[in-house]
Amino acid sequence: MSGLRKHRPAALLAAAAAVLAVAACSSGGSGSSGGSTVKQGGVFRMGTSSTIDSLNPFIAFQSDAYTTFEYIYPTLVQYTPSLKIVENFARSWNTSPDGRTWTFTTQPNAKWSDGKPLTAADAAWTFSTILKFADGATANSAGYVAHMKSATAPNATTLVLSYSQPVANVLSQVQQVPILPEHVWAQHATGNGKALKTFQNTAPIVSGGPFVLTKYTPKQVALFKRNASFYGPKPHIDGFGLQFFQTTDAEVTALKSGQLDGVEVPVPPTSVATLKAAHFTVRSSPGIAFDDFIINSSPDQQASHKELLNPLLRQAFDHAINRQAVVATSLLGHGKPGSTIIPPATGQWSDPSIKPVPFSLATAGQLLDKAGYKMGPDGLRVADGHPMSYTVIMPSDLAGEYLNRTFQIIQPDFKKIGVQLNLKVLDPSAAYDAITANNYRNFEISMWDWFPLTDPDFMLSVLTCNSFDVWNDTGYCSKAYDNLYSQQSAAVNPAQRQQVVYQMQQMIASAQPYLVIDYPDSIEAQSSHWSLLPEVGGGSFNSMSTIPMVSVHRL
Amino acid sequence: MTLPIQDPALAAEGLGVPPRRHGFLRSVLRERKAAVIGLAIIVFFILLSVIAPYISPYSATAQTCPVYAPPSSRHWLGCDDGGIDMLSELMQGGRISLVVGFAATFVAMVIGGGVGILSGYFGRWIDTGLMRVTDYLLVIPDLVFAVVIADLWGPSLFHVIIVIGILEWTSTARIIRAQVMSLKERAYVKRAQAIGSSPARVITRHILPQVGPLLMANTVLTIALVIYLETALAFLGLEDPTVTTWGTILEHAFERTAISSGAWWAIVPDGFVIAIVIVGCFLLGQAIEDALNPRLKVAHLSVRRWRIRPLAGRGPGAI
Amino acid sequence: MRGADYIVKRGFFALVTIYVAITINFFLFRVLPGNAVTDLSRVPHASPALRHALLTEFGLDKPKWEQYLIYLKNLAHGNMGISFANQQPVSHLLLADLKNTIPMVTVGTVAAIILGVFTGVLAAWRRTSASDHLSTNTAIFFYAFPTQWLGLMLLILFAGILPAGGMSDPFLFTAEPFWQHLADIGKHMFLPAATLMLTAFGSYTLVVRSSMLETLGEDYVLTARAKGLPVRRVVWRHAVRNALLPMVTLIALELGFIVGGALLVEVIFSWPGIGLAMYSAIGQRDYPMLQGGFLILTVSVILLNFAADLLYFRLDPRIST
Repeated sequence: MSGLRKHRPAALLAAAAAVLAVAACSSGGSGSSGGSTVKQGGVFRMGTSSTIDSLNPFIAFQSDAYTTFEYIYPTLVQYTPSLKIVENFARSWNTSPDGRTWTFTTQPNAKWSDGKPLTAADAAWTFSTILKFADGATANSAGYVAHMKSATAPNATTLVLSYSQPVANVLSQVQQVPILPEHVWAQHATGNGKALKTFQNTAPIVSGGPFVLTKYTPKQVALFKRNASFYGPKPHIDGFGLQFFQTTDAEVTALKSGQLDGVEVPVPPTSVATLKAAHFTVRSSPGIAFDDFIINSSPDQQASHKELLNPLLRQAFDHAINRQAVVATSLLGHGKPGSTIIPPATGQWSDPSIKPVPFSLATAGQLLDKAGYKMGPDGLRVADGHPMSYTVIMPSDLAGEYLNRTFQIIQPDFKKIGVQLNLKVLDPSAAYDAITANNYRNFEISMWDWFPLTDPDFMLSVLTCNSFDVWNDTGYCSKAYDNLYSQQSAAVNPAQRQQVVYQMQQMIASAQPYLVIDYPDSIEAQSSHWSLLPEVGGGSFNSMSTIPMVSVHRL
Repeated sequence: MTLPIQDPALAAEGLGVPPRRHGFLRSVLRERKAAVIGLAIIVFFILLSVIAPYISPYSATAQTCPVYAPPSSRHWLGCDDGGIDMLSELMQGGRISLVVGFAATFVAMVIGGGVGILSGYFGRWIDTGLMRVTDYLLVIPDLVFAVVIADLWGPSLFHVIIVIGILEWTSTARIIRAQVMSLKERAYVKRAQAIGSSPARVITRHILPQVGPLLMANTVLTIALVIYLETALAFLGLEDPTVTTWGTILEHAFERTAISSGAWWAIVPDGFVIAIVIVGCFLLGQAIEDALNPRLKVAHLSVRRWRIRPLAGRGPGAI
Repeated sequence: MRGADYIVKRGFFALVTIYVAITINFFLFRVLPGNAVTDLSRVPHASPALRHALLTEFGLDKPKWEQYLIYLKNLAHGNMGISFANQQPVSHLLLADLKNTIPMVTVGTVAAIILGVFTGVLAAWRRTSASDHLSTNTAIFFYAFPTQWLGLMLLILFAGILPAGGMSDPFLFTAEPFWQHLADIGKHMFLPAATLMLTAFGSYTLVVRSSMLETLGEDYVLTARAKGLPVRRVVWRHAVRNALLPMVTLIALELGFIVGGALLVEVIFSWPGIGLAMYSAIGQRDYPMLQGGFLILTVSVILLNFAADLLYFRLDPRIST
């Protein structure tokens, strides 16, 4: 069943990190201005098995909602397919020498779709409002304005953001904030701001981005029309639509029968062959997601499974996971064996020295022998007086996809080395509750996934002590790690930051709260009658950029 | 209405002697071809489930072929989304489906039979109370209720068994109650009560044996319904996904794009197998019920029964 | 008067059952592991104060009996709470969904009734012949196939010819003319309604057949035939009408089954109705939506049962004796 992709980072961000630094603020164009030979018009029909849970940016969790905001509301900056940050509503920017003040020059003479002026004041209002109610109504967005002191607009085309300390990843933070029309939203920001969360923001929405949301029928369709008053390069298409399906099977069937022009990530690996045979364009590219095997890392965990803290046990488990088989069967070859928690596809932040652990049941057995866990009479090893039998918690939305198959590959291998794994499927919030129960003391093992951002800050923050009961699903908490985390989040120099980020990955690779199983490829499929949708950060339809829908055209 | 079967046992009742039901099942089977077919189907699948681990060509859990491999001479029914042989999966999946079916039915029968007997025998406020409860539970839509409870408790076979058992006892209770109420008026029962036998003794010695065949018929019909419900719950993701049942086979196919991958073999055989077993239960249960009391009509307002499967037909040629 | 007595009794019963359903509904959702508030309060820098505010907002901090009274009071005002997932009133969301479900289920059920009557009459008329066996066995088999399997089969067979999901062709910026829109919905409704029809008609076939066989064996039918009256007229006048009574009861009894079938069908065909809403709510642990959906479906079945009681009362001559 299509569940909430909890780990879509667009939903909640925890803190800051440096990005490709000041040097990367190239004001290169977003490269979508088509020549006059490009066919204009048409409606691109996209299918999704996710949903838009709410059109209110202060409530929404689902990624499709965030993508909607990306296309209808201006953001200061956006990503290109090569993951550079480029201009959007902000044409240029610079930082003060002490790194605490950022000044953005925004588009002149811009308008909202209802004709009202779109200025830096709207941006200032948006950031200020988030700051004002960060402990209440706008808590979901509070992460984007971490360490921000104020947001002002001295004139219609200048926005000034002041911070209490130098922050390395300001650009990737502001990239995620949709700028809202003050004249529509200000009336709801009175009192304690509660009205901000109950405002329905129904279609047609007053939009400032390349598209206007003209029609939205929940669970059926969201229609986006080209915005005639957009300040940037105009889309080639008349508009695009997002149709909601219950399952990927229904989506793919619709694509094959010509009801759709493209389907959103993820396209399941099992559909690739038939789609290719039907002459659809199918692209499989290294993804930035990973599946993990989580071992309880809380030092206070119950004595009945405290042996899980033993590094020898963790190494043994790591060697007992047959990553090649998982990639071949669960992912049908569309993926890579996993190693570090910052996936290689994110580029320079991934530490290349961390490699996938080779599969060897013999080594695993030896390690467990070395730990003193002898094989018992019933084929299970005994650790600290009890048989090594563990419950593996898995969220139901992933169990329904392929993670169940992955477990079925891992379980018999573990049995061979004398460890019993028992699967327990719970729905996502119950699963998280089970992991965090009793301050992370109770759970044993879990299998889940992550969709980190291209910027490593979010993924690194998950393992901090502060992230307990927020995103931390391991019970791992280390002062040394937290120190490194603060270091990298303030390190404005990218080379310096990279060193710290590598150090952190190595720390995790040896502590092993996560055993990274694989990196599934990002698979997309679309009709060959349309130009190839550019992929930005593993998908062509997400909240990282408006380039895909602006540049797409019929062939 | 004519009795299609001249049951000498029923004639004996007029003499104040409890009728014997020996050879009842045998006479049913002799008279009705449908009952034979039904019983044969059920027995076949039970046997198959028992010997499945020994005769299935491949493992039902390990990967033995490429994902969604089409039917071939080596894998007669092809393979599913995990590269597992479909035929083996169907054979072994049946075990758990049938176990769940029987277990849940057992729960439903115990509760339903108990409520029906208590209600019919003791009457008055016990009857009113129990029947009210039954009535309320009757109206609540089965699957919706089951879905809600199964979701709240979590996906596991045990929960599925309990949930279905709790839902399905009501129809049995009503039917047994009606039967017990009429039995209560029989001469031999009144005699036993007159000589001072305790209710427990009267029930166990005189009522239960007579109610037995009806209970049996109902059990068989309930099994059919339980299997049906189990597949629905599994399909909605409310059953343990690591267990292979006929229901989870369909769920895996649906979730892992069997249709758009063209893998019809992951869907079609499973449905047929389920349908055949359900039809088998239906044939047998109907035949027994028909033989017991052909006067049972589909509905009369005063004995408003909750029958999921209606009665099939009348006369010697009836099913 | 006997008649009024009966209606009052059945009406009262319906009301009490509704109350029982409401109460069961409430308790079901208060005895569970974990709760959805943890989702809403999983925000960075979340203070205990914020979490508490959310708890209070959804009333989850009060003792159970107080929650129950609040729940009843709200229900009386038609307030079924706020969806945890998107903070909109549950009643608005579910009623909109119900508006989508009702046409599809009605079309499917009516089709099932028609098909059932047709095959039942055919089977009874041609008793013990090949058509009888074919009709009856086909009916039984279709009834035995799991609803979801029938839906998947139809999807396989009609992929490419009929839409694979949704309620209408959505990618139109301007509203299309009414008839075109209707035709569009019809095209999308065909497969889900057909699935419902195929899964439900079997029981009607059997009931109609058995009821007609009874009637055909009755004395007055034999008399009519002996008198030389055209047999077909006899059949249609008496037998079919007599089959109506058990049919009405059966339809009422089968409502629970149809509702369950609708849930499965909506999931398979992405039909945006109340079944699909409940299915999504389950995964998201959206309690108010689940409570509301369950309640609406149960009350609908209760009310339809009552309507069937009234109809039966009208049709059955034996009640007034």
